[in-house]
Amino acid sequence: MKKIALAVLCAAAVAAPVLAQQMKLEDQIKLRRAAYDMMNLGFGDLGAMAQDKKPFNKEEAEHDADLLVAASTVPRRFFPEGSDKDTKAKPEIWQNRADFDSKMDHMIAEAGKLPAVVRSGDMAAFKKQVGETGQACKACHDKYRAK
Amino acid sequence: MQGLPRQVSREVTLPQRVRVWDLPTRIFHWALAILAVFSFTTGKIGGAWMEWHLKSGYAILTLLLFRIAWGFAGSTTARFGHFVRGPRVAWTYARALATRTHARAFGHNPLGGWMVVVMIVAFLAQALSGLFADDEISTQGPLAVKVSNATVSRMSAFHSYNEWLLVALVALHMAAIATYTFMLRVPLVGAMVHGWTEVPAACAIRQRRAPAWRALLLLACAAVLVYYVVAVYPRA
Repeated sequence: MKKIALAVLCAAAVAAPVLAQQMKLEDQIKLRRAAYDMMNLGFGDLGAMAQDKKPFNKEEAEHDADLLVAASTVPRRFFPEGSDKDTKAKPEIWQNRADFDSKMDHMIAEAGKLPAVVRSGDMAAFKKQVGETGQACKACHDKYRAK
Repeated sequence: MQGLPRQVSREVTLPQRVRVWDLPTRIFHWALAILAVFSFTTGKIGGAWMEWHLKSGYAILTLLLFRIAWGFAGSTTARFGHFVRGPRVAWTYARALATRTHARAFGHNPLGGWMVVVMIVAFLAQALSGLFADDEISTQGPLAVKVSNATVSRMSAFHSYNEWLLVALVALHMAAIATYTFMLRVPLVGAMVHGWTEVPAACAIRQRRAPAWRALLLLACAAVLVYYVVAVYPRA
């Protein structure tokens, strides 16, 4: 058992830099930004509906939520060390990588609840979940994103 | 009072209870204080509270526009012309304050007057920059759609830095009040609540009280202007 765990750890330690090497830093930044744009496209619209700036449309909201969920898992994988140049990413990300990742996971989990909530049609639950998701985004922005 | 002849000195030092702040100025002050704390808190929490953060900002903008107008059309002590003094007067007052030989002011003193101006400008800058800000989560100021993304980005950054200037100003404001209350024994807070103060008769001036309808009219104008800017113009 220990041997297997060790093997997995070693494999992970070797695989992570290899994965990063496969793609240029620049391209990884480009990818995570594209993902953030997709998230913004979905979540911005959901936010407008939750804040009554736009009437709630279930079909659109479902599409928004699905888009957000699909894109939400992407950025976490494209924050290689040193990819803060000419971006708003703070170097603290790599000093507190575990915390950064846990905040990312929290955001992914909160966003992941949105499709079901939208489909339930429960407006109070929808507004609440949009709020929770927004707070999860903010937790990371406040700490790891420059103004 | 040392320079005055003894006979009159008793007369002039006899405290007189006078109204120093009119009701609109006091309501403005406490409403701004409450909304500033509310805005700070909701902005920090984020999420669903952002909707209220924006509404609070519109209310603050309305209050500030009203206060600026009231600075020209309000009662005597509310007017900028009454309390905004030259730098030399402020400096002389500050030096006298350090040795506690300052003259008791009726209304804002020459230092406090400048603090009022600085705070109004700083709060106004905060409210206005918020109109163009975007938290890049799900909340946008109503005018963000009207300007370039570079401007939105600058406004958002300003909005988050200026926040700390406001915190510092509020802290300085409260430190000054604490100093006057506990060290100089001038109860400033009570005067801002009920409007009355006790001053030596020589210090009191004749207040020209502005009518309440004028305050309501100016507040209504400010509200209409803000409503147009945040709700009508963005959709036009």
